Amino acid sequence: MIAEMREALQPHLSAILGREVEVSDPVLLAGGASKEAWAVDAGGERLLVRRAAGGVIHKHTLSLADEFEVLRAAHEAGVKVPRPYGYIADLEGREAFVMERLEGETIGRRIVRKDELAGARRALPAQMAEELAKIHAIPPSRLPFLGETRVEGMVEELDEVGEPHPAIELGLWWLRENRPPARDSVVVHGDFRIGNLVVDDHGLVGVLDWEFAHVDDPARDVAFSLVRAWRFGVPEKRLGGVGDVEPYLALYNELTGLDVRPEELDYWELAGNVAWAIGCLTQAQRHLTGQDRSVELAILGRLGVEVEYEICRLLERVAA
Amino acid sequence: MSERPTAQELAESILEFLGDEILPTIADPRLRFRMLVAMNALGIVHRELEALPAEDDTAARALAVRIRAGDVPPGTLRRVTADVEARLRVASPRFLETYR
Repeated sequence: MIAEMREALQPHLSAILGREVEVSDPVLLAGGASKEAWAVDAGGERLLVRRAAGGVIHKHTLSLADEFEVLRAAHEAGVKVPRPYGYIADLEGREAFVMERLEGETIGRRIVRKDELAGARRALPAQMAEELAKIHAIPPSRLPFLGETRVEGMVEELDEVGEPHPAIELGLWWLRENRPPARDSVVVHGDFRIGNLVVDDHGLVGVLDWEFAHVDDPARDVAFSLVRAWRFGVPEKRLGGVGDVEPYLALYNELTGLDVRPEELDYWELAGNVAWAIGCLTQAQRHLTGQDRSVELAILGRLGVEVEYEICRLLERVAA
Repeated sequence: MSERPTAQELAESILEFLGDEILPTIADPRLRFRMLVAMNALGIVHRELEALPAEDDTAARALAVRIRAGDVPPGTLRRVTADVEARLRVASPRFLETYR
């Protein structure tokens, strides 16, 4: 498998880099259930090949071709992202793209806890606000294929699962009833949180995983890191387990000229929890339907109840 | 209340994991034998669970439909939270104990 992948990559990487290159043995990295990630070096460049995984089609995410285009647009806009190298329509039967392999930590639990990353945690809130401001400045016309997402889309996903979940229904009901006045839609990352950010001693190195990019209310992206599951066991730091929300929000507003209010973040934090509660169920479905048998996906079907509990507690708070 | 994966489906997923991913990596014959015994035991659990009647989720379905229709009388959140807590005590008791 390794030798075949190396052989398959050689002509593609030579074409992308514009010269005949030697290719190291590719290493399949752990994690990433819907996409494969291969670490490979070629012609002195540290590369990462992101390739579709077998048989997995998630209709609510971008194709790799579109995701590559989003990455390019973000790179042009000066967002900290891995440098995009090139798209490969057919790599051993599946689509893929090649980008720079950044050095740093991506594991959420380590980012919120490791002593060596204490300085990074101090820097992250401001850096996250800066990157979001740059992402939200990308003109939607640069990425015309991006769709808009709304609360109704979540209902559709829940109905595809077909299980009754009154707590999620309550969350969806509250979101429908209390939607803040719509802001002008912008290009959003869609999954902007610790775990999708490469972090080193100095803080944020790069924003990864653009497959959920779409056009939406900017406050959605600003609030996504507040979702409890993405605080990785440090719930008292509401911003991704690394810091406080207030300075982050203030800087974001200053950089964008917007006036996103704390109540809007409460709204979108709840929306993020509802989305992740449904996400847990759809991940478990991949196991249950036989699409992708895995004990890790299976247990998410049960751990989703943690997110349902958070939805209940947030509803309690807004009702008070 | 309906829980997926069911206990039976969870047992099945563990059996698959042990058989497909762990067993082939065990070189020590004694450990290998004990793993096979453990998988047999888990197989018994799986078949016993299979024989149980399916959980009745009629009430949860009715409640979900009502909330979807916007019919949310006072007390609904308290009722739903109590149900979620009961499920959490099974699925993730530590999360509930340490929630703050």
